[in-house]
Amino acid sequence: MLHVENLTAAIGDKPILKGVDLDIGEGEVHAIMGPNGSGKSTFAHALAGRDGYEIGGVATLDGSDLLEMTPEQRAAAGVFMGFQYPVEIPGVNNMYFLRTALNSVRKARGETEVGARDFLAVAKQAMELVEMKQDFLDRAVNAGFSGGEKKRNEILQMAVMEPRLAVLDETDSGLDIDALRIIASGVNALRGPDRSMIVITHYQRLLDYIKPDFVHVLVNGKIVQSGDHTLALHLEDHGYADFVNHDLDDAPEKPLTGAPS
Amino acid sequence: MTIHPDPSSEARLGALDRIGEIGYPTKRDEAWRHAPHRALGELTFGPPVAPGIGVPAELDNQIPVLEGPRVVVVNGSVDASLSNLAGLDGLRLSSLAEVLAERPEQVAAHFEQGDSGIADVFVALNVAYGADGAVVQVADGVVLDVPIHIVDVGLPAAAQNATCTGVLIDIGVGSSATVIETRVGAGSEFGGSNIRTTIALADDSTLEHVLLQDVPSVQVHLSRVDVTQRAGSVFKARSFNLGAAYGRIAYNVQLAGTGAHADLSGLFFGFGDQTLDQQVNVVHAAAGCTSRQTYRGVLDEESTGVFNGGIDVRPGADGTDAVQSNDNLLLSDRAAINTQPRLEILADEVACKHGATVGQLDETALYYLRSRGIAADEARRLLINGFADQAVDDVGIETVRAWIIHRLGHDHA
Repeated sequence: MLHVENLTAAIGDKPILKGVDLDIGEGEVHAIMGPNGSGKSTFAHALAGRDGYEIGGVATLDGSDLLEMTPEQRAAAGVFMGFQYPVEIPGVNNMYFLRTALNSVRKARGETEVGARDFLAVAKQAMELVEMKQDFLDRAVNAGFSGGEKKRNEILQMAVMEPRLAVLDETDSGLDIDALRIIASGVNALRGPDRSMIVITHYQRLLDYIKPDFVHVLVNGKIVQSGDHTLALHLEDHGYADFVNHDLDDAPEKPLTGAPS
Repeated sequence: MTIHPDPSSEARLGALDRIGEIGYPTKRDEAWRHAPHRALGELTFGPPVAPGIGVPAELDNQIPVLEGPRVVVVNGSVDASLSNLAGLDGLRLSSLAEVLAERPEQVAAHFEQGDSGIADVFVALNVAYGADGAVVQVADGVVLDVPIHIVDVGLPAAAQNATCTGVLIDIGVGSSATVIETRVGAGSEFGGSNIRTTIALADDSTLEHVLLQDVPSVQVHLSRVDVTQRAGSVFKARSFNLGAAYGRIAYNVQLAGTGAHADLSGLFFGFGDQTLDQQVNVVHAAAGCTSRQTYRGVLDEESTGVFNGGIDVRPGADGTDAVQSNDNLLLSDRAAINTQPRLEILADEVACKHGATVGQLDETALYYLRSRGIAADEARRLLINGFADQAVDDVGIETVRAWIIHRLGHDHA
């Protein structure tokens, strides 16, 4: 479904992604882990279409070239990015924002727009998923939300948008254990055969709740190791030291002891 | 036959003399630095004249339509046929001309020159020529649920292109009221309106005063609002400076009684080569008063915004709490904002805060909206509206909020 090949991203002269290869099949959940500064968020933004990067390589979703598309076209194609730092938009009503978003992608796909009443039903269902109250929709988008509320709002948006591919960037950062559980159960409820996910995280903790089919380790702009969920457990015990203490650009890759290959 | 003494007639004659003495403002006058001095000089003032063109038949399409008391002033004279002067319990609504003829002592304060004389030539012009307009008198202990609407229509005539209107609002002890002042006009001729509102708030009274400035973009609009607040009174000013080539809204608020509160907020939203000028001066003359100035500017194309906000804390006004903010969004690299705080603090235990921001649309917020499928133009529109509409939230009357939102083109279901 998602095919990424030799994806590079740079800001000016500074390379950040140095050739990422990744294939994600229907309904699969892939975790991308890595130390700070390894390029995890850049990878997410490169898929979502943020301006300001020099992008090279290939990224296709269901055969369509994502890299040619604007962010809004990618959303219409089925990409959803859950932001690590959801943006506060004072003055814009959350409900209006959500409905505009949903109707924008429906319009782009040639589908009929959803009326106010029907939308409320959609939104209510999504709100239950992340245990939000009605007044959440009446507030301005993320304005004055707590960290946990912001992240729940991301998952709420994901539930409304029903993406083909969800890219969740550090959705667990800044969450207490209760908020983490709510968000993870929301994400799990949205797993399905037609929806694939990339879960980006620094910590293994989130993966106790959202069990990935595959785990990839991104270091210094490259995926240096891939495996199943036990790779995450290895990282929990050993940290990223095995990967970062030598120059990965020059050193030959060697299999890790104790990790699946 | 009884002859009523008219203390104001002498004041008006005196003002006529002052016009020549003061002269027109120049670029060196801080409060007029960004005004179009040549255009101001081309305004011709005098006693009210017949309109150059008829009142637009669709006047109600240009203004918020509110049930209840309303005064419509056309080129400086009240048009009784368009007005609804019927009073309510505790409310007396009159034309200024009528009050000047029958009970001039009740409006004498509006025409007084103060101890040091009138300093502003447009106030002098208004005192001299603004002999009609609206007088709102709310008795003691009255809560008015229905807003009072004062509509000023400027229709420049060839012979004399500028008009003067006077508005007086007196709110009695413990009373509360809402007054909406809407300023519109018609035609494509150059001209201007000079409107002066004097507001007296008695002890523990409350007034929400909404000013909607939407005159044609060829005209000059000069608003001045002078407010005196007694102990425990609350003044909420909400201004929307939208129309005119040069639209000026000036407030001079005197907090003269202990514990009075002034809350002024406003939005100016400019396009083309408009200059939208807010001059706000709040004088803390008594102890324990609070004031808030919260102004937002959105400036597109080649428009210019001005915010000149003063907080003047007089000796003895201890325990003053004053906050001022001016946040601006520049949508074009040819647009400009001139924002300036002026603080003078001569009392003790004073808390004064001020801050100004100037920014462009937040790229991260745009990206966030676009990542949700919202097209770039629509995302931009959402962010601009979101910024501006926060000023609209402060308006109490739903019909007025809806009018502003519609006027800004921000309607959404």
